[in-house]
Amino acid sequence: MKTPIRLLIPALLTACLSTAAQAQTEIQFWMGLTGVNGELLSRFGEDFNKSQSDYRVVVSFKGQYPEQRAAAVAAYRAGNPPHIMQMFDAGSGDMMSAKGSVVPVSEVFKRAGLQFNPADFIPAARGYYGVPNGDLLSMPFNVSTTVLFYNKDAFKKAGLDADKPPQTWPELISAANKIRSTNAAACGYTTAWLAWVMLEQFSSRHNIAFGTKGNGRAGADAELTLVANPLLARQVQTLVDMQKDKSFDYGGRSNDAAAKFISGECAMFTQSSGGLAAIATGAKFQFGVSQLPYWPDAKGAPYATTIGGASLWVFNAPKRSDVEFRGVAQFLNFLRSDKVMTEWAKTTGFLPATNSAFKAMQDEGFFAKNPGRDVPILSLIAAAKGDNTNGYRFGRWTEIRDVYHDEVEKALQGKQSGAEAMLNTERRGNVLLRAFERTVN
Amino acid sequence: MQRKVVFPQKGLPYWLLAPQLAITLVFFFWPGGQAMYMSLLLQDPFGHSVQFVGLENFRLVFADEDYLQAVWRTAYFSLAVTVLAMVPGLALAVMADRVIKGGTAYTTAMLVPYAIAPAVAGVLWLFMLNPSIGVMAWWLKHAGVAWNPTLDGSDAMWLVILASAWKQVAYNFLFFLAGLQAIPKSLLEAAAIDGARPFRRFYTIVFPLLSPTTFFLLVVGLVYAFFDTFGVIDAVSQGGPASATETLVYKVYKDGIHSLDLGGSAAQSVVLMVIVVALTMIQFRFIERRVHYS
Repeated sequence: MKTPIRLLIPALLTACLSTAAQAQTEIQFWMGLTGVNGELLSRFGEDFNKSQSDYRVVVSFKGQYPEQRAAAVAAYRAGNPPHIMQMFDAGSGDMMSAKGSVVPVSEVFKRAGLQFNPADFIPAARGYYGVPNGDLLSMPFNVSTTVLFYNKDAFKKAGLDADKPPQTWPELISAANKIRSTNAAACGYTTAWLAWVMLEQFSSRHNIAFGTKGNGRAGADAELTLVANPLLARQVQTLVDMQKDKSFDYGGRSNDAAAKFISGECAMFTQSSGGLAAIATGAKFQFGVSQLPYWPDAKGAPYATTIGGASLWVFNAPKRSDVEFRGVAQFLNFLRSDKVMTEWAKTTGFLPATNSAFKAMQDEGFFAKNPGRDVPILSLIAAAKGDNTNGYRFGRWTEIRDVYHDEVEKALQGKQSGAEAMLNTERRGNVLLRAFERTVN
Repeated sequence: MQRKVVFPQKGLPYWLLAPQLAITLVFFFWPGGQAMYMSLLLQDPFGHSVQFVGLENFRLVFADEDYLQAVWRTAYFSLAVTVLAMVPGLALAVMADRVIKGGTAYTTAMLVPYAIAPAVAGVLWLFMLNPSIGVMAWWLKHAGVAWNPTLDGSDAMWLVILASAWKQVAYNFLFFLAGLQAIPKSLLEAAAIDGARPFRRFYTIVFPLLSPTTFFLLVVGLVYAFFDTFGVIDAVSQGGPASATETLVYKVYKDGIHSLDLGGSAAQSVVLMVIVVALTMIQFRFIERRVHYS
């Protein structure tokens, strides 16, 4: 009689284990963040897992946004995409055109029976990630905008007022020249995310439409109109001229220039407000934050800057169950809670994506206690709105950004003028937009 | 006299070959076929709309001025990498051949760079030549050289060439050393008795006898520079600035993965496939016909 029972134990154990595994539904979450920001987002996943027992969120990093997107597309075609993917602003146009591949977050919440009001999110985010009927396609999570960081120590050394950062481009140029002539720093000014800052944010700041059809929002047949806006070429030419005496020094694509500011080499730096955490940890000098400069002779300037950062997209797949979608909704609901949003915003320098989290931070006196932290909010929310401050929506935009980088780099090398760079970007960009148009129709 | 070994069963050889054939089919023919098929299609990344467009992707690739520039750039890059990897490889092999004590230790030490992953090799050189923090960049600055690979295209090109070539020196060294050791000492001694000095002995006897090795390494080096340097370029310059370091293989990656232009990227990889097949065939023909001096 002993033997049969002993034999049964492993079988029973296996049965127990498999039910336990079945009870927990796994939710795959792919993020595109590294460093302090990525660690915090991973911790949010663990916090969620501890808070309930039905779902288990697995946060993983699959490479920078473009690599991650390629991996997700391949996984989608194989029938098993991640449940949630974080995608940066430039990828939004492509994601929106991928009808059937994604489920709008408004619908994800509705199916799960959870309250979801798009109006809870800050207007800039709603405008960017929403559709005309008010639904949100993706959930805004890490919301940022461009700000100017400046090295207060270098300003003092150059004899500049460390409490009066430059507001306009002429002011920035003269400050940069002063920094160079006094040798307070090896370079006056540099920037991260060249196309994002000098094309997208710059256009919003001056209410410029750099494409037709409401900056691409009204249809895939939109065209780029960079040449028709000479201010864009003037900005590139300004950088080209400044490069000659290092009052501006190019620091590479994406985020590479951050090292130039943090090391003290460059005294001024335009960057995403989400870059704050890295600067605060790395910089061995006093720094200040200010809004993105503007050209005072541009009509109506300054306008508001536009939104950047990334949002969370929910993938559809043939074999995906309702339980999985409920888990996705639960986790998104957790992420947008005031507790998570405020901790996220305070630690990283990103903006709170919801109105209530913003208000909670205000009530707590966070902005009063931390001078400079309200700068991105003032720039994004409080500044004047125009027809073109609501962002853009073009397909293949990651590629067009690279075309812009390519052409502006050629100009900075002295091979062409700012105007030629814009002409070539427009020509090459429009070829890509036409190819995109053919694949959506 | 040649002895022939014949398998008694007809099926056995095929069974013995099966694992290799399976690997070749799954990892070479299948993706290769997929790439050829995709190069004829126009599709969105998610595969919702797929149209057959014939050879349009190829037409666009060859009409693209950027692509043609990348072809020349790749030729320049590959030649530079191959030469810069072979000349020091040969020089070091000739010197190692003369080492009498501790030859094995010396040879082993020489092989270390070959064991380093391309991306790591790229990062090593990037650090040494980084304009802000690099030690070699600091020397250059003090020597009065304006070194700025972030913005200057030819600086960036030299950086990826150096990193790629450095890694391959070890490989060339090993083959040259083996080639040198296969040269009969009697030939060299006879030449020495005739009064030929070391340099003359090298270029009238050693170098011609090494020519099969040199040719083999030239082809292998070109294939390496064409395909295996992706990791170096991605770690060092990502093809920039202003596409100055964008080789053909990097462009396939950028257009396919970054831009999700699947058709165009597939067409480019088919072109690369043709190039590598051609290089391999040239090598086989010449290796078969190579002159034996023994």
